[in-house]
Amino acid sequence: MTAQMFFIGFFGLAAVWFGIVVFRTFSMVRSALALLFSQTALGAMFLSMQAEFLGVLQIMMMATEMSIMAIFMVMFMMDPGGLGTMEMTHQKRLSLWAGFVSFVGAVLVAIFVDWGPIAATAPDAAQQTVDLGLELLGRSMLIFETAGITILTAMIAATAVAIQPIKRSS
Amino acid sequence: MSIELLLALTTGAALFGVGIYGALSQTNLVMIMMGVELILAGAMVNLVAFWRFLHPYTPAGQMFVLIVMTVMAIEMAVGFGVAIARFRAKGSVEMEEAVELKG
Repeated sequence: MTAQMFFIGFFGLAAVWFGIVVFRTFSMVRSALALLFSQTALGAMFLSMQAEFLGVLQIMMMATEMSIMAIFMVMFMMDPGGLGTMEMTHQKRLSLWAGFVSFVGAVLVAIFVDWGPIAATAPDAAQQTVDLGLELLGRSMLIFETAGITILTAMIAATAVAIQPIKRSS
Repeated sequence: MSIELLLALTTGAALFGVGIYGALSQTNLVMIMMGVELILAGAMVNLVAFWRFLHPYTPAGQMFVLIVMTVMAIEMAVGFGVAIARFRAKGSVEMEEAVELKG
């Protein structure tokens, strides 16, 4: 067993385990923290797969995103601490089946598809960043710019939806 | 097929499955969003694994991951915008109480 195989397996297991914990705990804050740990384990998995830039980006982005999510959870939930062990699920059997069937289907595809030759080496971290930068500002620039504009539009739309309506006196 | 690729794809499949369960079973809008985040995380693992083990010298593979991260950020922004509007109007983000949105 190589070190890379061990770390991919270990962080993969951690990501899945914390992903399950998200829906098993009654505390909303714990749910948000479990999702943060799951996404961080995923970032560590990216680092194990030699995608250094994406790994660091994932960890940084998810740390802020999940902190914001935890604040929203506390704001919106009736019982954020989970002390009342409130049931917040429906159609549990159908959901379990849907999740299980998706998992088994995806694993079967992973096992039985011929993925072709496996690459032994990858470019080093510095070269990867250079290549990605050239890709983003070259061939994929239109997609990259579209993503930026879409984020801007989403920010404006979210603010417009969330803003308090002005009450006009008749 | 390498064990590393299989491990990564199995992790992606498991995250996808857990995310599907969460998105379908939860009644709270923020919890549903957490399910969607896990589904997208599953897709990201697969993309990084495909880049590393099949096409490591093609940077477009990493660019796809950036696009998925963008989708995650957009989902969060719009989702929380809707959650705030809903909470302001009805005092709750429980989706079972949002039957008036049904088409």
